Amino acid sequence: MTLEKKRILIAKPGLDGHDVGAKVIALALRDAGAEVIYTGLRRSPEQIVRIAVDEDVDMLGLSILSGSHKELARSVIAQLHAEEAGDIKVFVGGTIPDEDFDNLREAGVSGIFTSEMTIDSVIAEIERQLS
Amino acid sequence: MHRLPRRQISRDLTRVANAPVSDVLEAIGDTDVPPAFRIGITGPPGGGKSTLINALVAERLGNSLETTLAVLAIDPASPVSGGAILGDRIRMDAIADLPGLFIRSLSSRGARNGLCDNVVDLLALLEGHGFSEILLETVGVGQSEVAVHEVVDTLVVIVPPDAGDSVQTMKSGILEMADIVVVTKGDQPGAQRMAADLAAVLRARAGREPPVIQTQSSGVGVAELSAAITAHHRWVTEQRPATLSREKRRIYHLKALIERQIHEALRSDQQIAQGTLSQSYDRLLANLRVT
Ligand SMILES: Nc1nc2c(ncn2[C@@H]2O[C@H](COP(=O)(O)OP(=O)(O)OP(=O)(O)O)[C@@H](O)[C@H]2O)c(=O)[nH]1
Ligand SMILES: [Mg+2]
Repeated sequence: MTLEKKRILIAKPGLDGHDVGAKVIALALRDAGAEVIYTGLRRSPEQIVRIAVDEDVDMLGLSILSGSHKELARSVIAQLHAEEAGDIKVFVGGTIPDEDFDNLREAGVSGIFTSEMTIDSVIAEIERQLS
Repeated sequence: MHRLPRRQISRDLTRVANAPVSDVLEAIGDTDVPPAFRIGITGPPGGGKSTLINALVAERLGNSLETTLAVLAIDPASPVSGGAILGDRIRMDAIADLPGLFIRSLSSRGARNGLCDNVVDLLALLEGHGFSEILLETVGVGQSEVAVHEVVDTLVVIVPPDAGDSVQTMKSGILEMADIVVVTKGDQPGAQRMAADLAAVLRARAGREPPVIQTQSSGVGVAELSAAITAHHRWVTEQRPATLSREKRRIYHLKALIERQIHEALRSDQQIAQGTLSQSYDRLLANLRVT
């Protein structure tokens, strides 16, 4: 498996309470061989960054449906850098309008996944970036 | 106030977790540091181990800046993909911000004893980083898996009120090793009864009476449990000279290292099965030295 021994954090910042998408991705990553840490709902950016550091993850996936993806992604990435963990790749998934893609990439987001993409293509992209 | 070097500890843990045996000693740091007080939490899947740790850590550590506490929480790997969902943290939200706490989620990576193969290396590494207490949550398994008893000072076995049949299998296994028994989910029907039954069973079978304590996720019973843990720790320290427990740990650690070394040597030699048994054996011994 290509994601063998890769550690991936799937986190849900913000206030929305839907984690079906996050769970689907977490299971698909597990089936690709990854060790997936799941945080549960409603974690603050501070908490997510601390978990990412303590768990020494290779990748941090933020599942955001609340619309505040730009603010949350920037906040998380800035804090990762402050903790000298800027090497952890940040992905964002959820309801992200096309016009926000450039903004997120500028902020340092490595991958953006929307509900239109197939799970297989999401996993393939993660495998490519982590290998 | 001191601050935990989280990034450093975290990277060291990854390094040790992935290192071949030949690199592990160097990766641990191989110092002769005083051991931490190790508390094991085991019990059936979904029995309430992580939830209990959430309340127990809040009770024992609080916002202390002097003491530091680490949690290693092991979840099972998928036998098909080798991957794992590590979800113990979901229940540990109340303690997520404590400054003196470090939590690491681990995959069992195929170990079948409720632990992971290099758990003792990871415990030793955390001791090297100066943690005064370490809590170890095992995989929720069938409870014939008693290995955790060998690597901790105080073993807490949890039983939920609805455990039913699994208590039968636990009787002749992990329950006999328990230093403290906890009936979780005390707000659910049957908890009182389960606690009484367990106390009777333990008296009859093992001839000893570990405390049986009822807890709830709200925190009820957790102060009592924490006091029982501290009392047991004191008892162990008085009963068992430090050199003895050190020797016990060292022997377990050596066994764990050599077992992995054997696996690595076997995996690296495709021709190991050729020739006679004694030829294979000599080959294996030779391989053990080079790897
Ligand atoms: N009613 C009630 N439910 C509880 C209590 N403690 C835990 N639970 C529930 O029991 C379920 C399992 O709890 P966990 O703490 O994850 O159990 P665990 O033993 O760590 O589970 P694994 O690590 O998967 O083996 C969760 O849904 C908890 O909310 C309690 O005191 N009362
Ligand atoms: Mg658990």
